[in-house]
Amino acid sequence: MDPDRALVEAAAAGSREAFDDLVRRHQVAIVALTRALTSGAADAEDLAQEAFVRAWKSLRSFRGDSSFRTWLHRIAINVVRTAQTRHGRWTRMFTAAEPDADPPSPEEPLDAALARRQVIERALASLPEELRVAVALRDMQGLDYREIAAVLDVPIGTVESRIFRARRRLKPLLAPLLQTGPSVTGQER
Amino acid sequence: MTEHDEEQDAVAAILASVPPPRVTPAFLARVNARIDADAGTGWLALADFRVWTLRLAPLAAALALIAVLWPTGGVEPSAPAVASAQQTFTPASAADWQQDVAANAMLEAALSGSAHAR
Repeated sequence: MDPDRALVEAAAAGSREAFDDLVRRHQVAIVALTRALTSGAADAEDLAQEAFVRAWKSLRSFRGDSSFRTWLHRIAINVVRTAQTRHGRWTRMFTAAEPDADPPSPEEPLDAALARRQVIERALASLPEELRVAVALRDMQGLDYREIAAVLDVPIGTVESRIFRARRRLKPLLAPLLQTGPSVTGQER
Repeated sequence: MTEHDEEQDAVAAILASVPPPRVTPAFLARVNARIDADAGTGWLALADFRVWTLRLAPLAAALALIAVLWPTGGVEPSAPAVASAQQTFTPASAADWQQDVAANAMLEAALSGSAHAR
């Protein structure tokens, strides 16, 4: 049973209050997803807003075959894909280079959490799009394999394969973090 | 658990450790603003000057072209007009000085008159 069903029905009937509740419920997850898929790009929140706008426009056509969360994730992925196709590879290269645009001076202490996030975002950016999406949905969004298969409209076996290959590619890129462990400060061990 | 599984789990744990983003407080307001902006396709769109500017641009271009090509009184007179001016102009006639004769017609008459004199 979709926990959002009642709100979705009310929003589809025109209730903006119900839709506002849906936005509040899912905004963090969708922003996290767009950030993961755009490697922390500055317009990640803007893309997330676009996803909700599209969801509002398409609510009447939402048949409920999947959960609202699944449907919303699918919309967000399409929004990111459209934006990246529109901007082209040049923009993605430029966006990926932004964290290096202003490197900290040796005298300033490096924010460990920020550095850790940048390592992860750069590692994700190096993946092919289909692998990046799959591993982000699983490990960062917490979706199960069945739900990811519904979002991407691919078999569960394909989802498993993509996630496996993504993690294998990420391992050497995340090696510094693997040595320090998943802690934020990196001072454990 | 195999080494492969441990590596897979380690990578998954690192990705899962990314903290949730801080969504700006105005996020919902911006979503609603964009929805309202997209919904303004009725009378609100008519108040958008950019819509009118684009739609009227071809008409404005056509009017400008007509204004350039349309003949006016200040333009060089046609041949029949010059001939008509020559027929009515006689240098000895005082009334001619009072007539509003086009400068070009006077020049033509003067030149043709001097040619006859030779």
